[in-house]
Amino acid sequence: MLSVHELHVSYGGIKALRGVSMEVNQGEIVTIIGANGAGKSTMLNAITGFLKPAKGEVIFNGHKLGRNPAAIVKLGICHVPEGRLVFANLSVQDNLMLGAYLRKDRKKMAEDLEKVFVLFPRLKERIKQQAGTLSGGEQQMLAMGRALMTDGELVLMDEPSLGLAPLLVKTVFQIIKEIRDLGKTILLVEQNAQKALEVADRAYVLEQGRVVKEGAACDIQSDPAIRAAYLGSKSVAGGA
Amino acid sequence: MTQFLQQLINGLSIGSIYALMAVGYSLVYSIMNFSNFAHGSVIMLGAYFGFFSLTTLGMPFGIAFFIAACGAGFVAVTLERLAYKPLRDRRAPFLYFIITAMGASILIDNGVIATIGPTPKTFPPELLPSYLQSGSIQIGTLGIGRVDIAMFVITAVCLVALILFIDFTKMGKAIQATAYNMKASALMGINPNFVIILVFAIGGALAGVAGVLYGVKYQVFPQMSSITLKSFIAAVFGGLGSLPGALLGSLLLALIETFVSGYISTQLRDIFAFFILIAMLVIRPAGIMGKSAEDKA
Repeated sequence: MLSVHELHVSYGGIKALRGVSMEVNQGEIVTIIGANGAGKSTMLNAITGFLKPAKGEVIFNGHKLGRNPAAIVKLGICHVPEGRLVFANLSVQDNLMLGAYLRKDRKKMAEDLEKVFVLFPRLKERIKQQAGTLSGGEQQMLAMGRALMTDGELVLMDEPSLGLAPLLVKTVFQIIKEIRDLGKTILLVEQNAQKALEVADRAYVLEQGRVVKEGAACDIQSDPAIRAAYLGSKSVAGGA
Repeated sequence: MTQFLQQLINGLSIGSIYALMAVGYSLVYSIMNFSNFAHGSVIMLGAYFGFFSLTTLGMPFGIAFFIAACGAGFVAVTLERLAYKPLRDRRAPFLYFIITAMGASILIDNGVIATIGPTPKTFPPELLPSYLQSGSIQIGTLGIGRVDIAMFVITAVCLVALILFIDFTKMGKAIQATAYNMKASALMGINPNFVIILVFAIGGALAGVAGVLYGVKYQVFPQMSSITLKSFIAAVFGGLGSLPGALLGSLLLALIETFVSGYISTQLRDIFAFFILIAMLVIRPAGIMGKSAEDKA
């Protein structure tokens, strides 16, 4: 579905990605784990056209992706950005409907809205409320619901558990599985490697802009080097 | 009492023109985060479009008004495409945008002086509809200028239409989303370039309306563009980037100006206006209803 070939991205002299290749197949949950600054978010921003790769290409369902985020959304990739970025000045309803900005299929839109409310009943309760007044967890749910309203087949998620209380972290990962069950494919960037590997089918480990390890999530999870580097203290901090 | 009411009406009438200008100014600021100092030149060109459509082309006033609004909107969008888009594509710092805006303003103003000439033009009263003729409606001892009423009503119609558009249409919501966060709105499939063109077109069209009204009340002349400064003060006063703020700021600024002119001295009017600007920036940089306290240059 998505293939990334030898992607290089630099920010003013600093090489954030140095030749990263990866594949995401239909129906999978693929996770990218790595330390801060390893290039995880850069990867997602390069896929959705916010960053210009110095070299390499991204192919989605046979289309080479360019640098126009709006066109990429139209092709069927939605992105739940780091820090959620909900439209704080607009209502929950407006936020969700903006997700469907490019769509014309009103009937399917109404069905999708119902699915979002089944997934996130809290959003339905707060439909008229301004998004800025929601709690962090609710905002994360809104950001996910809004992305689902674009009806993209591939959902990119950037640190969905960041800054959430442990109980909510658990909920968020549960929801990620439920979103996959809706027929979506998920590329998940997470610092909480333990949780990410529990839900994912496959994983890539990024270090300083390179893929240092890839494979089935369960193999990565049991890899001694990975355990020492990413799962040691993290499993205590995030495993509640 | 009569004098007070008279000043109040003058203030509301001039405030409505400030509001038409400040709203366009604020809309552009809310998306692009820079002060479009070329906005005044668009207002001035709008006034000339209206004037020449009416006189040289002999159009009916309603059509001339429409041409002025469309023409000014077109100029604003052209300015965006030619002057600001290349800067955006290179991710230039916001200071470059302000300098470019000032340069464009000087270019347009002097272009008008060089081609049309510096002499002020007066809208010929015989070509104006009756509601814009001079003369006033007497209510007791109070005389309300017909122009003032028309200006207030036309402004109110334009601004209500704008608010309905922003709050109740999909495109209006897209503008609000983009103003809040351009990255997030692009992730919804909203093309930032489209939104930018839209706000320049709306702001420009309102500037054209403001230019014609100003020209009818006073005269049409190249230095008209310096009234941008007043709309800038109004927008900062009310809170840059906020439409209700721009409205409120415009009315308050105009009321303060007319009361200072009426009760203290006409010469002190602008000193008061700029004093308000400085005081506001010192005390409450976000303005009365501003969206943030960031740099307001």
